[in-house]
Amino acid sequence: MKISRRDFIRYGMTGLVVAAGTTALGRMITPRRNGNGTAIVVRLAITEAMVEMVDHTFIYHWTFEDLGNPAHLPQLPGPLIQAIEGDPIELSITNRLPDVHGFRIPGVPGETGTGILVEPGQTKTIGFLAPEGGTYMYLDHLNEPVNRVLGLHGPMVVLPRTGNTPYSRPTPNVQKLFDDLGTAPHFPGEPWKAERTRIWVFHSKDPRFNAMAERGEKINAAVFREEFLPRYFTINGESGAYASHNHHTTPEGRIGQPHLIRIMDTGMNADSPHIHGNHVYLLARRDTTGDLNIPRNVLLVDTFTDEVAQCMDWLLPFIRPPDIPGDETIPLRKLVKDELALTLGGVGQSPIMFPMHGHNEQSQSAAGGNYPQGMVTGWIITGDLDGVDFPPSSPEEKGGPPMPHDQD
Amino acid sequence: MTLPRIPLRSISRDELPVFNKHVCPPTFGGGPIDPLTPTRRIARNLLVNLDVELQDGTKVPVWILEDPDDPVGGRVFPSKTIRTVEGDIVHARVGVKTNTHTIHWHGIEPTPMNDGVGKHSFEISGNFVYQFATNQAGTFLYHCHKNTALHFELGLYGAFIVDPKKPDAPEARGVPDPPYPDGGPGFVRAFNPPDHVMKYDVESLWVPDDFDTRWHELGHDAFMQKCDPANPTAAENFTQDGILHDFRPDIFILSGEAKRKDDTTPFEKAAIRCKVGQTVLLRFIDATYTITEIRLGLPAQIIAEDGYPFGVPPRGQYSFPIDLPAGQPMRMTAAMRGDAFIRPTTPGRFPCTVDFFHWISGKKLYTATTFIDVE
Repeated sequence: MKISRRDFIRYGMTGLVVAAGTTALGRMITPRRNGNGTAIVVRLAITEAMVEMVDHTFIYHWTFEDLGNPAHLPQLPGPLIQAIEGDPIELSITNRLPDVHGFRIPGVPGETGTGILVEPGQTKTIGFLAPEGGTYMYLDHLNEPVNRVLGLHGPMVVLPRTGNTPYSRPTPNVQKLFDDLGTAPHFPGEPWKAERTRIWVFHSKDPRFNAMAERGEKINAAVFREEFLPRYFTINGESGAYASHNHHTTPEGRIGQPHLIRIMDTGMNADSPHIHGNHVYLLARRDTTGDLNIPRNVLLVDTFTDEVAQCMDWLLPFIRPPDIPGDETIPLRKLVKDELALTLGGVGQSPIMFPMHGHNEQSQSAAGGNYPQGMVTGWIITGDLDGVDFPPSSPEEKGGPPMPHDQD
Repeated sequence: MTLPRIPLRSISRDELPVFNKHVCPPTFGGGPIDPLTPTRRIARNLLVNLDVELQDGTKVPVWILEDPDDPVGGRVFPSKTIRTVEGDIVHARVGVKTNTHTIHWHGIEPTPMNDGVGKHSFEISGNFVYQFATNQAGTFLYHCHKNTALHFELGLYGAFIVDPKKPDAPEARGVPDPPYPDGGPGFVRAFNPPDHVMKYDVESLWVPDDFDTRWHELGHDAFMQKCDPANPTAAENFTQDGILHDFRPDIFILSGEAKRKDDTTPFEKAAIRCKVGQTVLLRFIDATYTITEIRLGLPAQIIAEDGYPFGVPPRGQYSFPIDLPAGQPMRMTAAMRGDAFIRPTTPGRFPCTVDFFHWISGKKLYTATTFIDVE
């Protein structure tokens, strides 16, 4: 597969954009794309905003704002920068806050990768060529980890110029995996398509430090590391039910439509994200220095550590959940039709939804409790391999079937 | 100056049911949905109160799942290991004795109704029979998925091992039919062609865990959001005084043996006892809320993670076993599992450690020491 300009634009248009004009725009990630071969121009401001938590508490944050977006709203996490390897990018940072701030994209060669400083009221412009394919985190590296954790972070995604993987230099096993998707008997369906991608930006926050920043107090990084106690946990700026039921965050497709999930931990705590329904292939990881490790040994896991300030890619194969008993030649809509017909608690069991959540379960809290209003989302299987969607559930709630005699 | 606001997105009327179900799942019960004839039946009741005793006689309350069919060994901490055989169709009868609970069969991947997550299905009040296959031999776990931060920490979990069928080979003589006995001998799915099953003589299960004893005084629904179907996002329904984000472990556990953080005596219960020439299969399940690093006193070969063996086609063909030199750390976090072969060549007592690091600061909190004893 060659990644065409057209595919790339569809990637940008799919899943990551929200209709303009809603008040929630600032929470969403918007794309940047290269229209006609000229430089991708990204104009970011470093600014501030009050951000609403799941329990309706408003917390002060430092945020990025996309000056190219007519809505002129700060965003948390920062806007998505995306490009194809080799694209020229012209990126300007305007600092609207009263103190010096930094900007760095670990893994990009040159000053972009080592970091620049922007004085209050100043605008600095950096130019660079989009580096090798992969997931990148941009951040304010000053007073690390304080400025990053107070809100100055966002994703950058670069696709390789050629190939059918997300990487410019895939290892043989990564290449084989992507070659097999949609072609090998164990991966019936379709190959990975670049638009079948989700970005999960994990974050955690301790409002006591945000309040200090709001008051203009200096925050000591050592004290911050020592005393940080996260009270809210988010994915793409949302928690709990909001993050679980946001189509821009949850991968969705029929069996045989594999998705790439680009994870980055922008908060203060390592977590142990666990996905239900399918194991995932653990692809590239990027450490805090920016080094990209594309594995020779591609493990299939259901839980894996996300390390602080690092990136990690997962390939969610979207296979039929392997432990559904019964004849595999029967489509699920027929094999488990009673389940798909059920409506429980006013919510239909069709389509099928599985969660992904942190298994360091503290991250499932908000304000110290309110399980599960923390770092949780999910993914949705909408239909069978043959292209037929699951039938809608019955609107009527039914009781359970009787207990079989041999179980009594 | 008024700062710009980034508000929560507004919720439509159509979204109210899923937002309500997220925090307040419905209850349900009865026989399995879309039933098939099972090849294996298991049962667990929850919850049962138990005390874990420290060296000084102090008792720490924990919650466990009991096996009602085993009056002798059915009430232990961690909860009794479940063993099934690869290819089984399992009916798991779950009895809920107090309030509502679920069981999630972690790493086993059935439909949502059988996955034991309330917000995507229901919670059990009374009884329910979960139905799933165990198509992949490996190391899994099971645990309650209600108010999970608390219920998993309090002990509502156990190991779930899926054994491969016994091969028709000379080395299988003397090995009982699967499910294999806890402790070995048995067979495990692993990388060697053509059958991808390998024999072990001794099996050991290491389950690091940690307790914040303040949490062990909390009730079943501690710090849950109040249910309000008409307005599931209302600010007044959120609690503000919980401590479930603030995990301060003061007791450290290895496979059910618990010690205070100032107790540095070795964990004898987890020690592996084996002989030169034997193959040991060591299974790890991380039940902590910290970050752990396991160091073995002998070289090992990691053959599987999260129940899926490395190098086994078709879906494991992109991976291969990992050599773990003696003393090199293996880093894990909550609910990850690993399987390793150890093949001792000389007799001796080889110390092994599990370091526990704080989940935010990364500071070392405790080192648990145990041994591989080779005759």
